[in-house]
Amino acid sequence: MKKRLTEWMAERTRALADRTSVGIPGGPSFAYVAGWVLVMLLGVEALTGTALSAFYAPSTASAWASVAYIQDQVPLGWLVRGLHYHGASALVIVCGAHLVQAAIFGAYKKPRELVWWLGLVLMLIVLGFAVSGYVLRWDQAGYWANHVEIGIATSAPGGTLLKGLALGGNDYGNLTLTRFNTLHVVVLPGVTALVVGAHVWISRLHNTTPRWGRDGLAAIRRWPQQTLLDVIAMAIVFAVLLGYVICQHGAGLSAPADPAAAFDARPLWYFRWLFELRHLAGSYERFAALAAPVVVGGLLVGLPFVDREPDRSPKKRLPYVGAVVGLFVLIGVLTLKSYAGDAGDAELAKREQAADMLASRARALAVKNGVPVTGGIDVFKTVPMYLPRAIFEQKCKSCHAADSKDRKGPIIAAGHGNRAWLKGFLQAPSGEPYWKHTRLAATEDAMAPVELPPADIDNLTELLYAQTGATDVDPVKRDAGVATFKKACTDCHSLEEGVAGGSGPGLADLGSRDYYTSFLSNPKKAVHMASKSEMPRFETDLTMTERDAVAGYLVWLRTASAADVAALGPL
Amino acid sequence: MKAATCALGGGLGLVIAVPALRVCVAPTNAQTVTTPSDPIDVGAIERIKVGAPWQRLDVIAPLVKDAWTTAHDVALGSAWVRRPNEQKLEALSSVCPHLGCAVGFDGQTFLCPCHNSKWSDSGALVAAAGPAKRDLDPLPITVVDGRLRLTWVRYKLDTATREPA
Repeated sequence: MKKRLTEWMAERTRALADRTSVGIPGGPSFAYVAGWVLVMLLGVEALTGTALSAFYAPSTASAWASVAYIQDQVPLGWLVRGLHYHGASALVIVCGAHLVQAAIFGAYKKPRELVWWLGLVLMLIVLGFAVSGYVLRWDQAGYWANHVEIGIATSAPGGTLLKGLALGGNDYGNLTLTRFNTLHVVVLPGVTALVVGAHVWISRLHNTTPRWGRDGLAAIRRWPQQTLLDVIAMAIVFAVLLGYVICQHGAGLSAPADPAAAFDARPLWYFRWLFELRHLAGSYERFAALAAPVVVGGLLVGLPFVDREPDRSPKKRLPYVGAVVGLFVLIGVLTLKSYAGDAGDAELAKREQAADMLASRARALAVKNGVPVTGGIDVFKTVPMYLPRAIFEQKCKSCHAADSKDRKGPIIAAGHGNRAWLKGFLQAPSGEPYWKHTRLAATEDAMAPVELPPADIDNLTELLYAQTGATDVDPVKRDAGVATFKKACTDCHSLEEGVAGGSGPGLADLGSRDYYTSFLSNPKKAVHMASKSEMPRFETDLTMTERDAVAGYLVWLRTASAADVAALGPL
Repeated sequence: MKAATCALGGGLGLVIAVPALRVCVAPTNAQTVTTPSDPIDVGAIERIKVGAPWQRLDVIAPLVKDAWTTAHDVALGSAWVRRPNEQKLEALSSVCPHLGCAVGFDGQTFLCPCHNSKWSDSGALVAAAGPAKRDLDPLPITVVDGRLRLTWVRYKLDTATREPA
């Protein structure tokens, strides 16, 4: 039965078997494994890529979020993503090794020129995968690296057209992602399949290129000895890749792409030599970036034309072998130099550390709160009380933060407006936490410290505290405070709704949400500080929603401790 | 040697394929879309007049987590609501218990536009009319501080008995 089945298959696949079972002159060796290792790595890319594409959503609003989801929330997602990303690096390394080996073996010589050129095309495709894949994450690293790459391409003749074609219009946006996604998952894989097919088919026509000097030896079939060596090599390469991916816990993911935030863009490691070359070229950087790939490509493409002697022994072809090896050594040196330059830059290290922290915060927030439908950067807005805190940071901090050098008003921090705060104010209105740094404090208009027995101060404090709308007011003290207020405060102040005092502000609802909204809108209103306040009016600068949010934050601060504020986390 | 080659090759293929397959099937039994299980505010009680015919109310979730996104005010579906008297409040899911199309009401009967299933004014199935196997699904509804609060539940489709999906 088995025999009949084998014969049935053999009869129908003879032509294929003839092509694939040609032998290697001189027999099997680890020298011939590179091709199959590359096939394995392409398989890893195809498989992991398919899995990733089942999650990835190419739009500016969802790209980063979906990648972060794969990385941090899908079981083994980090592993698959890591294999895909680092597998591409492995492809570049093995492709490079395969290329150098082919050059040393003289495998590009007649009649194998086409195999060599198709191999160069494949190398180019692998780099194309890298460029198109890196931007898909839509994180800071991928987004800005793409800007550099597109920038270089734009400076080439016809570059503007290429840029429009790549980005899908005039700027980075949804079409940039959909187009690079199509290139990465449809176009390039298709082209790769065709070119790999042609590369392998033509190379089989001419047989494996044996080591020099072995051409005349008897050919031994690949199966099973050479195949075993191929599989062993594949297993070793995959084991190394897997180990590396596990050590790195997958691939990196920086903070969501932010067109407004600066980032130290660095290309993928296999483009670092070009990056370094641009630095070295100084004002000729654009020229260097364009010329270097042309020179490298030209040298490699031209090899079969200049090195035409049939003898493949490297000793007899030293200039050519030397040129290729020298080229890759140069690329290696430039790469190392680029990394060494970064390693010695303390300022860069600091910025990178800050970027790393931003990335971990964004990813932690994405796991905890999900990413808003408006897009990746808005994940930062999911922290508690983002809106008022962001406004405070921007509009209020310089005058009201305890650590501000140009503080002009009272400190606004945890406990602002609570009993202790109010009591402290009554006892020393121009004290350090209060009006000390205001212009008012230096004038005769400033309120004088209230000098009353401690019990009266406590009652007055309770009365003012009751204005905030707090629910834990002591009614006895409060009512006692009313009598004290009438005796000691009504010359300047009023507790009637909307009524200013004689020379000071009205205190009705002091510290309530509505009070804060009104005060923020216009501190110079008669019922508030009139002309005595230096604080700007925010009624036009901030929307009603924004003012209300800030007011809510101020109310929250009254009952908050410093630990509560710290627990909100950074913005 | 042939066996070793096949075993090693097959093993390698398996090791490569397993993580990718694991990731692809990961969402199968995971709760990737989280809608509120708490009652959802569907408007003021005054919207529903006592004795008026069934009225359709959109059920809008304040927050929905869907894989990587968090979205506010997401429409989940709609419910038919009426108040036969001051004390009584009824709500029916507009999801057809057959295959999930949105059921309409013409003043007398409920009708599903997809396969012509029909229900009486009380939501009871008119068995001869179409393929649906059960009455329309009632939804829990209460009034808190003058606001209608409806609990959105999806039931298994095309079954005679009612089980949460």
